[in-house]
Amino acid sequence: MPDNRRRNANTVPVVTFLTYAVAGLSACVAGLGFVWCKNQMYATGTQIKKLESELVQLRSRNEATRTNIAKLTSTAELQKRFTSGWIKLVTISGDRIVLVSSLAKTGGAAELRAVANERKQP
Amino acid sequence: MIRAPRTRALIACSGLACCFTAFSARLVHVQVMQHDAYLAKARENHGVRQVIAGRRGSITDIHGEALAQNEPVKTVVVDAGLVKDPGLLADVLAKTLGVSKPQMLERMTRETWSAAQKKTVRSPYIVVQKEVPQNVVETLTAQLAAGKLRGVSFEQSANRIYPNGPMLCHVLGFLGFTNGKSESEGVDGVERSMEPFLRSHAGFRCIEITRTGHEVVPYRGEHHEARNGGNVRLTIDMGLQNIVEQELDAAVKQFRPRGATVIMMHPKTGEILALANRPYFNLNALEGLTDENRRNRAVTDQVEPGSTFKIVTTAAVLSEKLVTPETFFEVENGYYEWCRLKDDHPYAELTVNDILVHSSNIGVAKLAMRLGDQKFFEYIHRFGFGEQTGVALPGEIKGVIHPPHLWSKISITRMPMGQEVAATPLQVATAMCVIANGGTLMMPQIIHEVTDDSGAVVAAFPPREVRRVVSKKATEQVRKALMEVVSKKGTARLAQVLGYDVAGKTGTAQKYDPVTRQPLHDKHVCSFVGYMPAEDPAFVVLVLIDEAQTKRGQDVGGMVAAPVFSRIGERAARYLGLTPTPEEPEGSVVAKRNKDGSDLREQ
Repeated sequence: MPDNRRRNANTVPVVTFLTYAVAGLSACVAGLGFVWCKNQMYATGTQIKKLESELVQLRSRNEATRTNIAKLTSTAELQKRFTSGWIKLVTISGDRIVLVSSLAKTGGAAELRAVANERKQP
Repeated sequence: MIRAPRTRALIACSGLACCFTAFSARLVHVQVMQHDAYLAKARENHGVRQVIAGRRGSITDIHGEALAQNEPVKTVVVDAGLVKDPGLLADVLAKTLGVSKPQMLERMTRETWSAAQKKTVRSPYIVVQKEVPQNVVETLTAQLAAGKLRGVSFEQSANRIYPNGPMLCHVLGFLGFTNGKSESEGVDGVERSMEPFLRSHAGFRCIEITRTGHEVVPYRGEHHEARNGGNVRLTIDMGLQNIVEQELDAAVKQFRPRGATVIMMHPKTGEILALANRPYFNLNALEGLTDENRRNRAVTDQVEPGSTFKIVTTAAVLSEKLVTPETFFEVENGYYEWCRLKDDHPYAELTVNDILVHSSNIGVAKLAMRLGDQKFFEYIHRFGFGEQTGVALPGEIKGVIHPPHLWSKISITRMPMGQEVAATPLQVATAMCVIANGGTLMMPQIIHEVTDDSGAVVAAFPPREVRRVVSKKATEQVRKALMEVVSKKGTARLAQVLGYDVAGKTGTAQKYDPVTRQPLHDKHVCSFVGYMPAEDPAFVVLVLIDEAQTKRGQDVGGMVAAPVFSRIGERAARYLGLTPTPEEPEGSVVAKRNKDGSDLREQ
């Protein structure tokens, strides 16, 4: 058999080999990619869950703080603190309050009418 | 026997083919034919329907102060099957939750019968502690994470908190479990009447969990978000409510009555600004709850209104123009023989105006007779008596107003002075609002609006005019008379408020023995209903004291209820920044408080 003919008969099918190699590699990459994606999905899921838990916790904490604020600023609590002298406020007694009425119509002058405490019996 | 290679190969291939066919058939059977059954089984083992709790709506006063709110708490649950070291876990839980270790261990090691495994197994759901506060949960979570302890989970729940404790308890109401329902719902007060708005709707999420109880997030299924309840804003002003509660407490301390009620309303809108009853209870500790202290007397109790009812008769005759305020009536020198009717102070004759000022029973009886049975009955109804006001508070009663065909001969002389009729305190306050606002019956409102989480209004409750009752002129004429009632010559001198004109009417109703139906001479319901400033009223206040313990002859509306009105009026005027009345009413007496504000005396 002539040399050139043998060469032609035993040619290595590079193209075919490469085709299969590329196909195999692609399958491997696709498989690894799938696994990686799946892995990422689970990792993201775990992160989502963690963030959700944190969010729930923050909301609960926020709600608890709001309740606490409501308790501490409630009328009953403030009244209790006021009565006990804790907030150092003193009630202004009735005889020290000046009640200013609207402008007197009589007289025409733009002066404020006498305070209620100074009202005299006619 | 030696077969040909070809035959042997054929047999081998056929065998393999049969095997594969059998496996394939089984696969098809499992995956296709029994798909639903296995899916259900897988869901049962790994699928969980996770409930997402919604938040019940809050209740606030008109300025947004929280009156009812939710405190987030958690329920600690243990899956005993996942616990590796029960002793260590019990130690951590016991220390954090404040329970003894043996007790905790006993709770955690509970066993249950497993139908699937057909044997007793460690319980997968053990509630070890309920209502654990948020900060304790955070501490516990950190400790569990540090110790790498598994098997503990937390379930979200909430406690209803009333920051003001007993204040406004009859209006707010409370929650409870009814008809075997697993979720609590409002059983009294606004919590009940506004239940459809306040109630939250729980959501759910279908999830899959691993063997260790962790969620597989990518396999999440159907998801419905929870819907929070609406936030209810009341017409109540806590500043005024605080004043009312304090003054009512002072009155209860002074008179030790069987019960007491104060209602403050805005006459032009019908909004209830404050409402308090005694006895009362603490909303955050319902252990001592009894029928007596739970009752919202303002709407569930009926009383004979007494002389406060005289405003109805007087306004009616004036509106019908049958008389003028100056028309004279003979008042029989204090005793009207044919109907055996007495006046406390004998007069020969009185004007219509003075009939109200001196609270003459004979005079007002004659006014009613001038009006006639049918017309009088009609006006009673137009003032809102004998029908529910429609306020959003549960348990409201109608009161009792008999129709004319059931009246006795003397009913027309008794009803005008508030006998033979029964009304709720709220009806009396609402009737006075008619006089204060110029003749229109307004529906009492306790709810201002309902909003959602974003603040958008879900439902609004604007002022509602029910009907025109009497003419504006008639109300002005009655107002002048009522201002004189709160003057030196009237019965409610002690209701005066420094610097302001007040209009009002006292009432003292005799109580009856419920068994013998005979009047009890030493038991009275003392009341005062009035408004201020008289010219342009900012509020109407009803004070009703049931069976005040006083010296003989002093348990009358003018002595018991009127001073309470005065103190409330004075503080409320200061709180609301009302401008004092410029002109002094003729015949009024200037009154001044002691420095300690305890007593009212003439200057």
